[in-house]
Amino acid sequence: MSSPRPSIAEPRWVRFTLTAVALVFLGFFLALPLVAVFVEALAAGIPAYLDALADPEARSAIWLTVLVALIALPLNVAFGVAAAWAIARFEFRGKSALITLIDLPFAVSPVVAGLVFVLLFGSQGLFGAWLSAHDIRIIFAVPGIVLATLFVTFPFVARELIPLMQAQGREEEEAAVSLGASGWQMLWRVTLPNIKWGLLYGVILANARAMGEFGAVSVVSGHIRGETNTLPLHVEILYNEYNQVGAFAAASVLALLALVTLIAKTIVEWRMRRETAMLEASLSPEGGAASPAA
Amino acid sequence: MSIEIRGIGKRFGNFVALDNIDLDIPSGELVALLGPSGCGKTTLLRIIAGMESPDHGQVLFEGEEATHLHVRERKVGFVFQHYALFRHMTVFENVAFGLRVKPRHERPSEAEIRRRVTDLLKLVQLDWLAERYPSQLSGGQRQRIALARALAVEPKVLLLDEPFGALDTRVRKELRRWLRRLHDEVHISSVFVTHDQEEALEVADRVVVMNQGRIEQIGTPDEVYSRPASPFVYRFLGDVNVFHSRLHGAWAEINRLPEGAHAGEALAFIRPHDIDIERFEQAGSLAARVQEVHAIGPSVRVELAHGSELIEVELTRERANALGLSRGDQVWLRPRQVRVFAAEPAGEEFGSGI
Amino acid sequence: MARNVLPGFRLGLGYTLLYLSLIVLLPLAALVFKSAELSAAQFWDIATGERALASLRVTFGSALIAALINAAFGLLTAWVLVRYTFPGKRFVDALVDLPFALPTAVAGITLATLYAGNGWIGRHLEPLGFKVAFTPVGIVVALTFISLPFVVRTLQPVIEDIEPEIEEAAAVLGASRWQTFRLVLLPAILPALITGFTLAFSRAIGEYGSVIFIAGNMPFISEITPLLIVAKLEQYDIVGATALAVVMLVISFALLLAVNALQWRMANRHSAAGARR
Repeated sequence: MSSPRPSIAEPRWVRFTLTAVALVFLGFFLALPLVAVFVEALAAGIPAYLDALADPEARSAIWLTVLVALIALPLNVAFGVAAAWAIARFEFRGKSALITLIDLPFAVSPVVAGLVFVLLFGSQGLFGAWLSAHDIRIIFAVPGIVLATLFVTFPFVARELIPLMQAQGREEEEAAVSLGASGWQMLWRVTLPNIKWGLLYGVILANARAMGEFGAVSVVSGHIRGETNTLPLHVEILYNEYNQVGAFAAASVLALLALVTLIAKTIVEWRMRRETAMLEASLSPEGGAASPAA
Repeated sequence: MSIEIRGIGKRFGNFVALDNIDLDIPSGELVALLGPSGCGKTTLLRIIAGMESPDHGQVLFEGEEATHLHVRERKVGFVFQHYALFRHMTVFENVAFGLRVKPRHERPSEAEIRRRVTDLLKLVQLDWLAERYPSQLSGGQRQRIALARALAVEPKVLLLDEPFGALDTRVRKELRRWLRRLHDEVHISSVFVTHDQEEALEVADRVVVMNQGRIEQIGTPDEVYSRPASPFVYRFLGDVNVFHSRLHGAWAEINRLPEGAHAGEALAFIRPHDIDIERFEQAGSLAARVQEVHAIGPSVRVELAHGSELIEVELTRERANALGLSRGDQVWLRPRQVRVFAAEPAGEEFGSGI
Repeated sequence: MARNVLPGFRLGLGYTLLYLSLIVLLPLAALVFKSAELSAAQFWDIATGERALASLRVTFGSALIAALINAAFGLLTAWVLVRYTFPGKRFVDALVDLPFALPTAVAGITLATLYAGNGWIGRHLEPLGFKVAFTPVGIVVALTFISLPFVVRTLQPVIEDIEPEIEEAAAVLGASRWQTFRLVLLPAILPALITGFTLAFSRAIGEYGSVIFIAGNMPFISEITPLLIVAKLEQYDIVGATALAVVMLVISFALLLAVNALQWRMANRHSAAGARR
């Protein structure tokens, strides 16, 4: 640990006060809302809660949410691995500009992210006339929801993998190639096993965002009940109809998802830290000679 | 200012870092705490500085109780092994820091601060670097700035933790000579920690040799080198040949067994340069066969076998040339100086000691 | 440079650029393309319209307050989580990421319910004269929630990396604990604090889901710009929505560049050998 000796550190009462203030702040802003979701959801009793979830519209919203995530995540993984491979293993012009562009969707308001697809594929959009002539619906339909989700989850996997692969260096892959491995063999047997935890971490975060996205999806979905309603949109509709129990029952499913995300994330972080520690221990006699090449 | 250490003890869990240490550091001396890593020297230094508190015992500054004085109030200067310079401050601001944080009524005026910092930077011969940042300096320069920073608050004691440990050999040699000269100039009681015997012997007025949380010997560099008080000191300060007691009978006229020890319990210690090689047998000399001859710089190191025992001898180049030794020659050894200690407990056996 | 023997550069970079263009760049280009239908004067009229300006004021004002709250409490939280031990610390540490994991709509309805006049918190605030839900204060609460992790997560590794010797050196030189914090520690973590603050601010500006439930959405008072964009879209005023979106995009992009420049400076700050002044 990096803390100085107790003889230098803050007096006990300062430590106690600071800790207490921080915990009260986090308690009010984080713990209380989390508890409130479940209390509100169960406010009318368990049967009412289960009824709300068994509602066909709720079920179709859950199914659509899962479907969108199932489509978006593999695409994100493929992109993340490809981008991290190019950026962490090769030198080329405009690399730092590319990294900035990958981060760009994080900086764009979700509403703007939805709007851009309306401008492209909406009835008055650039491709609107052509699409309606061929009877293809993207906006106010599932493809639009998928596109908006892809936009907002775009950076997650790549952002995790780029620094990880940069830190690992390219020696292992070079060894594999020098031993005669083909490109795919190297990818499956060396690269992917080395980055599996980082990849999983990125997927966990991307999944939470994909299933929970509201703003971007709300702009492109059209809120057609039973068809283009994802679970977060379903929450909104019920809440606006003053169906408090229904809204919070649906919200509690998403809150559970958030809890699972936090737990999975903590476990993966723990695994990654342990692996890093093991790696450092195994390298320490040589003074960490295999650390990243600048 | 003099420092007295009375019965200081410190444990970390089950590990005894310091075991009842008593030590007097007279005013104005430059003292080296010398020992292998883990011997407790750094812990002792940090206790003197107040960054660590002892489990028991007392630290007295100029005869006054200082054991529980906070670091801030001890008025010590501390130089860290890795410099610990404030990286977002210029060299000038680093040195000025101790003056700027003084309570308002003690704080010198801006002009006074400027004058004192400039003087100190001149003292460490780096006044031309005042506006640089620490990252723009070499290791040796950083260490001199760290020293200037410690001196800025006019400490009564200067404490240095492995001050040259992170530097390469050439810079280290230069810097320790410079530290010696600086000490002669400012004459402030100084304690420095080192594991490098050469450094301790060259720089210090007095050397405190420590091992396993205890003090083995206190003395001038000459005393600890030529009259080591224990087998540990013998081994730690330079190379040594250790002869088990069965050899001892052959050299009975040169040395006596310590009081009350039997022949079977004693070890004889002889430095490689305290042995002469002769071509012919003399009374009290020991037969040996030359195994290897290495010329190393100004001296020649000869490895010889006496039975199964390996003996190392260091000769001057002239002497080696006069002898004209080559591998396999039969020669006789004569020790000039031998010290005999009662045999150590098995746990402290260090092997041949060469 | 040594020859790179690894395969897949063209494939990797090619796929990256293609996917980036299709999912991000082309759609954003459509935004710029659409706004080109407007003359500069028309664009200016929409962007500086009374309602638009009011919404920008509300958006930036509340995002700024929320980011400042998070800078202060985020610094405190990161410090406590790195330096002190207390029961349940690992749990609290994991909980900090809740706003990243909890969908914004859920946060929105929950905060609205908590701070409403009959809610757990609102019930105690209303008699004191504080109305939170359905006022601009509610917007600040929602934005504080969703941008809470940024400062904490940016600061934690930086605080962990501070060498203890730095603090010991300051103490030996006579600095009080507060002086050490102010003069030595704070400057060391300031770049990270600013980065975290900017990230939180940037996230808060674009936020939509959590705000609309608690804000009350009264034009000129508690209407944020993203909501105004949606409102214009629902009235089929696509050009108006586009113009506002361009304004937001330009601001977001400027903030993103600022963060990247800051992080670049942090990484290179004191390692560059050349003179810096």
